[in-house]
Amino acid sequence: MAEKSEYRGNIHQRQKQLMLDWYGKLEQAASGDEPKTCSLMVSGNCVELLEAFGIVPIYPEVNALQLAIRHQSLDPILAAEEMGYAADNCAYVKADIGCLLKGITPTGTRLPEKPTLVLCNFVGCNTYLKWFEHVAKFTGAPLYVIDVPFLRTAEPSKEDVAYVVKQLHELVALLEKLTGRKFDPDRFRHAVACSARSEELWSRIKHLAKVTPSPFDAYFDAITLMGPLYVYRATQEGVDFFTDALAELEAKRSAGEGVYERERFRLVMEGPPPYPYFRTFRDMFAKWQATAVASTYSTVGGLWEFGFRHDPAEPFESVAMHMIAQNVTNRNMLQRYDQMQRYLEEWKADGVIIHFVKSCRLFSAGQGDMRDYFSKQLGVPTLYIESDLEDPRYFAEAQTRTRIDAFFEALEHSKAHPQPRPTVAKGTQLCVLPQA
Amino acid sequence: MRIAAGVDVGSTQTKAVLLADNGGRKVLARKLTDTGANVQKAAERAFDLCCEEAGIKTADVGFVVGTGYGRYKISFGNAQMTEISCHARGASFLCPGTRTVIDMGGQDSKAISVGPSGEVLDFVMNDKCAAGTGRFLANAAEVIGIGLDEIGPLALEAKRPVKIATVCTVFVEADILSYLANGKKPADILGGVHLAIAKRTLSLARRVNIEPEITMTGGVARNAGMVHALEEVLGAKMNVTPDAHFMGAVGAALFALEKMDDSFEMGWTKDYASHRGN
Repeated sequence: MAEKSEYRGNIHQRQKQLMLDWYGKLEQAASGDEPKTCSLMVSGNCVELLEAFGIVPIYPEVNALQLAIRHQSLDPILAAEEMGYAADNCAYVKADIGCLLKGITPTGTRLPEKPTLVLCNFVGCNTYLKWFEHVAKFTGAPLYVIDVPFLRTAEPSKEDVAYVVKQLHELVALLEKLTGRKFDPDRFRHAVACSARSEELWSRIKHLAKVTPSPFDAYFDAITLMGPLYVYRATQEGVDFFTDALAELEAKRSAGEGVYERERFRLVMEGPPPYPYFRTFRDMFAKWQATAVASTYSTVGGLWEFGFRHDPAEPFESVAMHMIAQNVTNRNMLQRYDQMQRYLEEWKADGVIIHFVKSCRLFSAGQGDMRDYFSKQLGVPTLYIESDLEDPRYFAEAQTRTRIDAFFEALEHSKAHPQPRPTVAKGTQLCVLPQA
Repeated sequence: MRIAAGVDVGSTQTKAVLLADNGGRKVLARKLTDTGANVQKAAERAFDLCCEEAGIKTADVGFVVGTGYGRYKISFGNAQMTEISCHARGASFLCPGTRTVIDMGGQDSKAISVGPSGEVLDFVMNDKCAAGTGRFLANAAEVIGIGLDEIGPLALEAKRPVKIATVCTVFVEADILSYLANGKKPADILGGVHLAIAKRTLSLARRVNIEPEITMTGGVARNAGMVHALEEVLGAKMNVTPDAHFMGAVGAALFALEKMDDSFEMGWTKDYASHRGN
């Protein structure tokens, strides 16, 4: 019998229903003038502002991953390549553009052919700028680009926050024009307050993984909860969902139930999963009864477990802060190191798994050095594997399985015979330059 | 006397080793066959030939550990382990001072940082690309039109090794053909080919800490030209035993013996048995 690898509770059914309802609203938008819709990016999304106008978000990334998880991503990718998109181009982009070209949708339900607005909340990823320009071009929808300064310092400057707030006000004026509705500050504050509440509940869920055994997998199961987080966070439905999710997982924790009957390893995961082989990949960890107790990928849309919340007293400023500083993609690499180190220490993890995404240079660049940092400087068992989040052609099952099995074989030995691992002194240059 | 076996089903060749424990542990027999299309048959053949050579019945073998890419396909295997753990263990047994293993096989190459008792501390492998593997050398040999066994000695005769710009196993053919067309000597071309692979392997090995002693394992260890080129770029001597090619199978057999001794540390074996074939 294969190890049960997945928690299937009420929250998974609720999540599924919420996402179907969302696709239902988008199908409704495809057939008429309402509801209004807006394409935007997951990272640092400003869904609160859309909610204030009753606009339904469309996440091209969510569509892309839904396609991949249903093993349907290759056809649209090939269609985009046929059109001239390069093999190395972001596979999310190609899958999404291919879908637009071929009229494919992940659930089979229709999506609006022309969203009310294409909003590039340009966070961390410069490819997305081109992606959203293309989406606007192909759909004929208006495009608005929010230029979000990259976070190079510990905290954003006042000027950076003011710069983004100014653009959000511009966006409000544009949305008033496009929807014909007057901006309602109270509705916006309410949306921000709902977000703050959802974020608090989500954060508590993530902290549940600190106990041994962890009642849920903060990578594979967290992904299930991420859809509602991005689509419904700023609504009462979202608050209700996360209230129930927390209660359900707290009950599991109280009963001492883990993801596996016996939790043998606790991991920190870095990078998105290979969606085209999501189940296969998950089973490779299930075989070893290894639970992800924390993941950076689950903070792509927002980093809430360390205390940040949207603030109804300062709605615009807190939305700007979220966009600039409180999502993993707009933070610098060293901040990602710190985040992972906190996970390792506070969530008591045994090792780190880094999944390099071949077609996402932006998220993945620097992960080789990251491996060296954790493995050599901190002495943490670290595994680096490569494939892709969307393109099935990059996943080599036998190779991936061998690496994962070897990692656990070694980890098992080192857990049974704990010894200080050889580490290099702090400040040592880890990146060895090639010989001339 | 207890006898255990290790069977390493690699992408190109299948290796089997019988290990006997009679107070001391020693290799009783070793056999090599081409893997071919039928992985299961190749494993059985190598194992049967080993038993034949040792003059024992297959039933005399107390425990079999399978390793290599075909490890799940070994129908008579009692447990499986990855070739990474097995190469580290085998190298540490045959060359006890081993702290770094460089393994070059038919389709992959890896660098393993090894602890004092043969445990894996860290490892890196080539990804999605056969550059730096036996396949690269096999292609080069084919283009030049000589046997795989001949390229190593010929590479050692290189006076002025050419520069091979590409590390792509497919595109290197065009590079070699163009050097041949320009009248370069096969020895110099092969010298360049070996150096290109050695440099690529070095950059792979640097991702783990390269510490002496370094032991080379895998089929490519039989190629004297490759050993020379690697030692040149490493600036260090490597242990290369006649059993280098069998190192994965030796390691697997050692794990098998430990299982029989009940000192097998890998507690996953029992759970894992239920996953066979997955």
